[in-house]
Amino acid sequence: MGEKKSFWKHLKAWVDGEEVILDADKYIVSRSVKEKKNWGGRYSMENIKGNKKLYGFLSVAISVLFIGIMLSVVNDLPEFGNPSNPANNEVMERYLESGIEETGAINFVAGMILDYRAFDTFGESNVLFLAVMCVVLLLKKDKNNYSEKEEAENWEDDYFDENEKRPILKVGGKLLAPLIILYGIYVILNGHLSPGGGFSGGTIIGAGLILYASAYGQKKMQTFFTFRTFTLICVACLLTYCACKSYSFFTGANHVGYEIPKGIPGNILSSGFILPLNICVGLIVACTMYGFYALFTKGDI
Amino acid sequence: MSAGIQIILLVFLVACALAVSLTKNLFIAVIVFMGYSSIMAVIWLLLESPDLAITEAAVGAGVDSVLFFLTLKKVHYLKGTREG
Amino acid sequence: MREVIAAIFIIIGLIVFLLSIFGIFRFKYVLNRIHAAALGDTLGLGAIVVGLMIMSVNFFAAAKFFLIILFFWLSGPIATHSIAKVEILTNKNYEERVREK
Repeated sequence: MGEKKSFWKHLKAWVDGEEVILDADKYIVSRSVKEKKNWGGRYSMENIKGNKKLYGFLSVAISVLFIGIMLSVVNDLPEFGNPSNPANNEVMERYLESGIEETGAINFVAGMILDYRAFDTFGESNVLFLAVMCVVLLLKKDKNNYSEKEEAENWEDDYFDENEKRPILKVGGKLLAPLIILYGIYVILNGHLSPGGGFSGGTIIGAGLILYASAYGQKKMQTFFTFRTFTLICVACLLTYCACKSYSFFTGANHVGYEIPKGIPGNILSSGFILPLNICVGLIVACTMYGFYALFTKGDI
Repeated sequence: MSAGIQIILLVFLVACALAVSLTKNLFIAVIVFMGYSSIMAVIWLLLESPDLAITEAAVGAGVDSVLFFLTLKKVHYLKGTREG
Repeated sequence: MREVIAAIFIIIGLIVFLLSIFGIFRFKYVLNRIHAAALGDTLGLGAIVVGLMIMSVNFFAAAKFFLIILFFWLSGPIATHSIAKVEILTNKNYEERVREK
């Protein structure tokens, strides 16, 4: 640590955990242990946890209290299935009467989740992306997350995969994975015409990728799907979604002034932005599902 | 007829949910959870929401259980694989 | 006439499914149980879908049913083979493998 570093290098080293404190021993000796303040006296958590009877009684009492609060709130909600609820007449009537006219989608569910409630779906896609980023943080293999034992186990798995004499699973994967991925693409592209859509189609594509990866191993998969492609596809799809929906956000919620051509309901190229949004959601979900699988097995996409 | 089938399916659903939470063996819990997801997909289909049925069948019975099994393998729980 | 033939096929399929479930609960060792389960997956499902194919309204519906049969007859035996392979590779208990204990 003799040479002078710039502030950013210091910061980077500190973030990566490589920064060493100068004179660490002196620092540790001079550091005084903070006196623990016992706020609760004899009612602190340790005392309560030690007392088994009191602990059990308190846990049951708190659970009963929460159940009571929840039940009393549920009691005040409008009755389920009551025909005079707003959810049962106004909203549903509006969707059923002018859904096709306003969104251009024959499948009402696609029109709902990707046009009326599009920001919900955006949030869900972001949640998926965040989840896979957390898994990357925890499980991705780099110089701080490396153990000889796991490496040996992975090598053993690869050895058994490569020296497999009976290629039944490989032939099956070769035949089935393209069919599964094709079916997923069909479900995504027909999302606004028939049941299905981004989430279900993306999951089916992800299942096909998982089948292929489990039959052929990680190395074969990395010839066309690396970590770089994964991040590129995810980020590009999220940004496209954001751009598409901020268009209607900036021009007013009802597309005032800039009407997107809806096309004829029933055609494959119709219903405005629903088709590209479906494709974006499907790609994100497919990448996320395969990413989970790859990170859980080998620790690398 | 349809109501009878729905009642049978709901009874199976409750039984599966109880079995998942009561069983001690994690492997059996994952398998029963797969059954729960399949029954749930059929119920969604009977409630006329095929979108959810497709998603439930693909996520709940397919990808979810693969991830659960991978986690069990990662923590060396499965019998017969390495020192688990 | 068509309905009768379709009903016969579907009933055959249901009987095969019943036998396969009975076998899963009756047998003790993994490979025997896999045999019973795979029977339901291939023969039972095939018979039921053939029955539905006879009942279908036009050619394209029948073609879709045929695709379902094709998919299951490709994927089911592969899955069964994988499970059996893992059982053979990992189970070292000779008594259980030979004498079903």
